[in-house]
Amino acid sequence: MKQPIYGLGIYLFLMLPPVVTLLESIMVVHMHMQMPLLVMVGMLFTPFLQQTFPAFFEKWNENGVPGIVLFMIIISYWMIPRTMDEALTVSAAEIFKFISLPFLAGVPLRDSWSKLTIKGKNSIFILLSILFGIMACIYILSPNQICNSYLIKEQKALGWTFLLTGLCIVIYFIQTLFIDKEEYGET
Amino acid sequence: MIKKRSTFALIIVIVFGFGLFLIGTDGFTAYTAEQARTMKLVEEKPEFPKVTLEDSKERVYSLSEFQGKYVMLTFIYTACTDVCLLLEMNLAQVYNQIPEQYIGEDIVFMSISFDPENDDPATLEHYRNYFNSDGETWRMARIPDQQELDGLLDRFGVIVIPDNNGHFAHNAAFYLVNPEGKLVDVMDYENIDQAASKVNAILRTEVGDKS
Repeated sequence: MKQPIYGLGIYLFLMLPPVVTLLESIMVVHMHMQMPLLVMVGMLFTPFLQQTFPAFFEKWNENGVPGIVLFMIIISYWMIPRTMDEALTVSAAEIFKFISLPFLAGVPLRDSWSKLTIKGKNSIFILLSILFGIMACIYILSPNQICNSYLIKEQKALGWTFLLTGLCIVIYFIQTLFIDKEEYGET
Repeated sequence: MIKKRSTFALIIVIVFGFGLFLIGTDGFTAYTAEQARTMKLVEEKPEFPKVTLEDSKERVYSLSEFQGKYVMLTFIYTACTDVCLLLEMNLAQVYNQIPEQYIGEDIVFMSISFDPENDDPATLEHYRNYFNSDGETWRMARIPDQQELDGLLDRFGVIVIPDNNGHFAHNAAFYLVNPEGKLVDVMDYENIDQAASKVNAILRTEVGDKS
């Protein structure tokens, strides 16, 4: 059970004020590094929570659907331009970010993923690619500054990283359709 | 039974998500901080703080100079190469759409520079000529005291980020201050006709039909 300890370590590190300031000073790093790391922290906590509250996860997230929907809601919420600004200016929003991303996105993602059917997983891959594509268009094509706290060129950079991440998801998704992991002994 | 519980959990999650988005976007109306800021300003009607203005003709005064008149404001810096030019060109068009009898009497236009270091009266005097501003009913001014300037920008929600190359990233809008010195409207600077008709409607109802 080393994972929760690593998770806690990363969590505390991310909470250090200088780390927070540094990560949030660059738009791309804020969206595509700090936020995913927080989700990862939640994923590292999951086995510990599953063991501590086995009944809760089995009862309420039996087929993985409620969990994955919660995950999608939380990450979509943090993609709204306004929420990024508010995380910087409203401390309640910042606290909510540090709680919601690990516990309402990371934990349900890991708990749900293995429970989802192939179809469910595929729909999530497709939904995520579409979502990232839309966000890429918004951030690259918008002639206006969408986030008051960041410059337009940073906004464009964020758009391109969205596109790149979206493409990676698409590539990964396509390879899952053609490559059978079991043939390679990686079940 | 198990199936039912999962469905129930799913419903809770969806309701939670709906509530989260509802609160987070002020009822699905404000998706950017800029929209939220504008809505909040119009609701709160903050007062124009006491600041000392210095205009392109080197006259020094405060906003109370215009007591009893509406003031249409923009925030600019003259070294700006994109947004400010558009903002001021559009302001000129709004200015032209206001009936002459109101101009100077019931409404004045004012462009305030947030770069007092570079925008001295001479620079502003030069800059105003680009837009046919007369320097009287449409003035260009700076606020020499940085503290006063920051107070105003903060209260009116104007966000200015210097990029250290002499330029600034900033938001832009038309700000309408009423005769009592309170901010009453923040208008989209790209929608000239809408802004002009809004100002005209306010002038007609508040000042009366003069023609």
